[in-house]
Amino acid sequence: MNTKNIAFLVAGVVFLSFPLVIHSDYYQHLVIIALMWVVIGSSWNLLAGYTGLVSFGHAIFFGTGAYTAGILFTKVGISAWWGMMFGGIASMVIGLIVGWVCLRLRGPYFALATLAGGEIFRLIATNWESLTEGMVGILIIQTFKSKILYYYSALALAFLCVYIIHLLMKTKWGYYFLSIREDQDAAESLGINTTLYKNLSLLMSAFFTGMAGAFYMNYMAFIDPEVVFSLHHISIMAILVGIVGGVATILGPTVGAFVMVGVQEIFRSAFFGAGPKWVSQVHALVFGLLVIFVIMFLAKGIVGDWPKIRRAVFRIGESTR
Amino acid sequence: MRKPNMLIGFALLVFVCFSFGASFSMAADTVKVGIVLPLTGPQAKFGEIEKISFDMALDEINAAGGIQGKTLELIIEDDTGRPEVGRSVVEKLITKDKVVMIGGGYSSSVTYAVAGVCQQNRMPFLVNTGSADKITASGWDYIFRLNPPVSEYASAIESLLGQVIKPKSIAILHENSLFGTKGANSFAKRCKKSGYKVALKQGYEHGGIDFKPVLIRVKQLNPDIIYMVSYIMDASLLMKQSKELKLTPKMFIGGAAGFTLPEFVQNAGVASEKVISATLWHQVLPYPGAMDYYDKFVARFKKPTEYHGAEAYAACYVIADVLDRAPSFTNIDIKKALSETDIMTIFGPVRFVSYGKMKNQNRLPTYVVQWIDGKLELVWPARLATKKLEYPVDWLKTWGY
Repeated sequence: MNTKNIAFLVAGVVFLSFPLVIHSDYYQHLVIIALMWVVIGSSWNLLAGYTGLVSFGHAIFFGTGAYTAGILFTKVGISAWWGMMFGGIASMVIGLIVGWVCLRLRGPYFALATLAGGEIFRLIATNWESLTEGMVGILIIQTFKSKILYYYSALALAFLCVYIIHLLMKTKWGYYFLSIREDQDAAESLGINTTLYKNLSLLMSAFFTGMAGAFYMNYMAFIDPEVVFSLHHISIMAILVGIVGGVATILGPTVGAFVMVGVQEIFRSAFFGAGPKWVSQVHALVFGLLVIFVIMFLAKGIVGDWPKIRRAVFRIGESTR
Repeated sequence: MRKPNMLIGFALLVFVCFSFGASFSMAADTVKVGIVLPLTGPQAKFGEIEKISFDMALDEINAAGGIQGKTLELIIEDDTGRPEVGRSVVEKLITKDKVVMIGGGYSSSVTYAVAGVCQQNRMPFLVNTGSADKITASGWDYIFRLNPPVSEYASAIESLLGQVIKPKSIAILHENSLFGTKGANSFAKRCKKSGYKVALKQGYEHGGIDFKPVLIRVKQLNPDIIYMVSYIMDASLLMKQSKELKLTPKMFIGGAAGFTLPEFVQNAGVASEKVISATLWHQVLPYPGAMDYYDKFVARFKKPTEYHGAEAYAACYVIADVLDRAPSFTNIDIKKALSETDIMTIFGPVRFVSYGKMKNQNRLPTYVVQWIDGKLELVWPARLATKKLEYPVDWLKTWGY
């Protein structure tokens, strides 16, 4: 057994035993939210990191998934757990429409089109009150009081998402995605149907993000358009999770999700209440500075620039010896 | 070999991160109450005024001997104005800080999400500002509310309209938020019942800065009354841009929130003059301690306070009273003590009753205030007024054209 397998084993044991060891609802909640971000970040990474289509509108799929689950529950009476599957599918349908419009564009134009798309969906959800309840939002009662089941479903979803993307990137599809990222025209000239593969990448990304959205509805039990179609808190956060963790790496978004959720909460709660009060007053500022630091000095993200970090830490260790 | 090492390190980091801190606990001679308020983000202004009012009341309560010989401790947490943060905040308060009850609750959306968590955990929650009707109309027995629901905010305005202004048509502008939409909808419904024509009911986006397109439409419709349910920046901008467009209805009316804050007059300047607003409180009301609270606030923070601050200050006294009467600090005893509450606060008498769809709701009258010479004066009901309502208003003269 090599070190790599041992590492995965340790990580697996830690994640599987976490809720059995740590009973606090609060810490379980944070890890559940982080796992949800693993899914969103990884699916964003599939589209942006591997296929080169930087999306500023992942809230479209997240919100569609959440609203599908919420509306199915309130209007049709289907359990929001089934909604997770339907949420993913509905997001794929929306993904087709978004792709039909936005995938004609490249680079910054694609980014801008998705950005606008996110805002369009937020406005629709705000104003179509008969369907979405508008700003009143949708509230359901959580199925379980205990967080353990939510934890394991989030863990399963995160694992499946990361693992499927990992497998996918080793197949022919994966190489097609990469070739589109590197040079779309060259890929086209080699006979790759770039339109098809760009759409496939978008659909997979939309599916997982939609599942995450439906999970959010299940777990948080309250959504409104400002929350799930938020440019700031969903679309941009998805990008930050990807960038901080490491674009175009399998584990990057996973690390990014835990770092982002962890850091945000550590500063907001002033080191879980152990630090001085002023820390929580400047939490937004500290968070922003941290992101700037990562982008400036660790441009490939924590995972992408891991050798660099290791060398830096190693050097400090050397000099103090 | 790089990645595996990193993975182990990362897994350990996660473990350490979430397991330290769990061991911090305070001495047993304090009673801990969690307060959820927006201290950063767009609603921070309201959160701040409530936070310092809570702190003021807390100092006084502890100076007077605290709760059953113990010190009252408020753990005030920032919900950043977002429901999911509100949810994690209240979960932290319940499971980690082991608070005995929850207070605060500013924006309706956050309060609603927090109330859901509290009800599920059987944790008593005294709401003092979040005003969407459904917070106390969902049949939740652990949720109590000090302030009236938003559908009742305009009741004093309605009597003023009926007796003095007698408008024919009304335009309603509101922010697209739970508070704005609900406030506008219930006002529109009552207008129709009173026989006033609702010429326009239009929502606008949160954070908008250009209201001229919608104001020009209002100008074309020429309604007698413009009713606005807005937070702070939008309230100021609506009035400033109405002034620039020389939009002159018989009266501009604000539905509380942004229109009563001291920042409204600072931002809107002369455009705030003579605007009237619904309010839930004014310092001259004949409630014991109301003027006292206002004077103390001004002396300490060098700026005036308004109804949000009064709600927080009163809520802190209600919390102290409830905990003082509770035989033990278990959720059931505190809930029972809450339902037996009957005290006078600076915000008015507090008793939680059930009526219609409402459960555990405090019933209070509302008032109308008017900005006269840069000061917020109570003008309605007439028997309590500090100044006579200035009506009709020559807007162009007021604005200095």
